[in-house]
Amino acid sequence: MSGIDVRGLGKRFGERVAVEGLTFHVRPGEVFGLLGPNGAGKTTTVRMLTGLLTPSEGEAVVWGHRADRDGEGLRKVVGLLTEQPGLYERLTARENLRFFMKLHELDESKAWPRTQHYLERFGLGGREEEPVGGFSKGMRQKLAIVRTLVHDPRVIFLDEPTSGLDPESARTVRDAVAELASEGRTIVLCSHNLSEVERLCERVAVVKRRLLLMGPVRELRRSGQSLDVRVDGEAERFRNALTSLPFAPNVLAEGMRLRVMLEDEAHAPDVLACLVGAGARVHSAVPAQRPLEEVYLDLLREEGA
Amino acid sequence: MAFRPRRALAVFWKDFLDLRKNVGLLVSMAVLPAVMVLVPIVVVWTYVNTPNRADLRSVAQFYDPTLPLGASAARFLIDKTLTDWFGLFLVMPVFVPILIASQSVAGEKERRTLEPLLASPVTAAELVAGKSLAALVPAVVITWVAFIIFCVGVDIVAWPMVQGPLMPNALWTFGVLVIAPLFAFFGNGVAVLISARVSEARMAQQISALVVLPLVGMVGGQVAGVLKAGLGFYALQGAVVLVLDVVLLFASIRLLDRERLVSRWG
Ligand SMILES: Nc1ncnc2c1ncn2[C@@H]1O[C@H](COP(=O)(O)OP(=O)(O)OP(=O)(O)O)[C@@H](O)[C@H]1O
Ligand SMILES: [Mg+2]
Repeated sequence: MSGIDVRGLGKRFGERVAVEGLTFHVRPGEVFGLLGPNGAGKTTTVRMLTGLLTPSEGEAVVWGHRADRDGEGLRKVVGLLTEQPGLYERLTARENLRFFMKLHELDESKAWPRTQHYLERFGLGGREEEPVGGFSKGMRQKLAIVRTLVHDPRVIFLDEPTSGLDPESARTVRDAVAELASEGRTIVLCSHNLSEVERLCERVAVVKRRLLLMGPVRELRRSGQSLDVRVDGEAERFRNALTSLPFAPNVLAEGMRLRVMLEDEAHAPDVLACLVGAGARVHSAVPAQRPLEEVYLDLLREEGA
Repeated sequence: MAFRPRRALAVFWKDFLDLRKNVGLLVSMAVLPAVMVLVPIVVVWTYVNTPNRADLRSVAQFYDPTLPLGASAARFLIDKTLTDWFGLFLVMPVFVPILIASQSVAGEKERRTLEPLLASPVTAAELVAGKSLAALVPAVVITWVAFIIFCVGVDIVAWPMVQGPLMPNALWTFGVLVIAPLFAFFGNGVAVLISARVSEARMAQQISALVVLPLVGMVGGQVAGVLKAGLGFYALQGAVVLVLDVVLLFASIRLLDRERLVSRWG
């Protein structure tokens, strides 16, 4: 069985519940996003899925290996990019990579050409013999990604692969992730960066200790319709009228513009009727998609409430 | 969970490479052997050059009231120094692996390299084996090299009096070849165990280093004339340490379990 199957997964650290009741399935070859704020339990989840932590409840099967029972078999087929690059500073880039080749008992003469390809891809070609201690943050992160690939894993877990990188390095990393996906690898990407998840993932699970929402990125978007309305004069005046509507939409007012968040497109005429009833002179009303970010933040806000 | 020697050797390879590039650690590793070798040579040299000082005889008689009148007090004290010094010499094979193993286990936590390592297929037993080897091999080699230099040094300064080689004698040869590796294993085991529980290499070193105190204490006892050390005494120490080694080995493999290591962070 391939892919990742997670059922009722949970982890407690003493009294603190880090993750609970997590259930999802990642299809082979899919790029799956785990999106959530700091402390949401993303790292904990990934650690359970790579056999580093034993779940307190539920089970996870990764590429046919039970994460809690067959850690060794599991770790042969998965690659984990940890939150911290965790490279050996005194060793050179090549030595760092060789160490992991040895740990995976690879034939180095076969593993090198493949690894070399990724080094070149990340602009690290020619820097192999330098100690990692002299590498910049971005170079370290890229080298750490290459390290997760030495054994040609079918499943890759990336825990915040672009955190702390400058835009250009972040872009290289994102492009590389897309490339890895196109090679048919299954990728789980943890992030609190929405646009990154949006760009790279087919499906996303929003987590905050438990699963808040899961679905294809496009569907997540659809749950975020809004209406942009332009009125005469200060738009702020109409906010109260709108929020007292039976479906109580969220309203942003800025200058002559109103952005009204709708759960249902069918509410649009009611919004306009309400505005006209309140004496507004409506110049235009355009349906718009709410940026994913607002959907996400709303979700977290509801969860916090 | 089969034990794969290749993975254990990979850990050994990496740690050894890292050690070779760690100049600071190499320097601190060299200080102790230098002291261990130089001090007794100077002491022996002093005895050899002042054999007729009157007070030497009373010192010697403090340790052995039955010392025959014709026997050289200086020669007696040289033998006594060499026998007692072996107890202190054992501090070296205990201490060097503590320096190395603390760096290589707690140091991996401190520098956050442990998690990627644990995400590889390596097992706890392979980690313990690889890391222990990386601490033991240098410790034993350093001890043996120091021993050779020590023998040569002592023989050179003692030659005018003894007119022949004083070292290596049976006690030291047995001690350095058999007991010292057992002690190295012990120091390493303690350091691995402590390193599994604390998060900084320095703290692991400091706590582990406390185990040398009983050793120093026993030598203190010998110098005070309370304990009479000899081959049997050291062999007994070795046997006790051998038992502790086995216990430590199993305890470290248990403690180096992923869950414990990962969840003790933060
Ligand atoms: N080893 C541990 N011991 C105790 N509590 C822990 C441990 N690891 C994580 N936690 C707690 O579990 C919760 C989830 O942490 P986790 O690191 O999984 O979050 P995260 O989503 O990765 O956050 P971030 O975006 O900051 O990386 C947090 O409240 C954290 O304090
Ligand atoms: Mg995290």
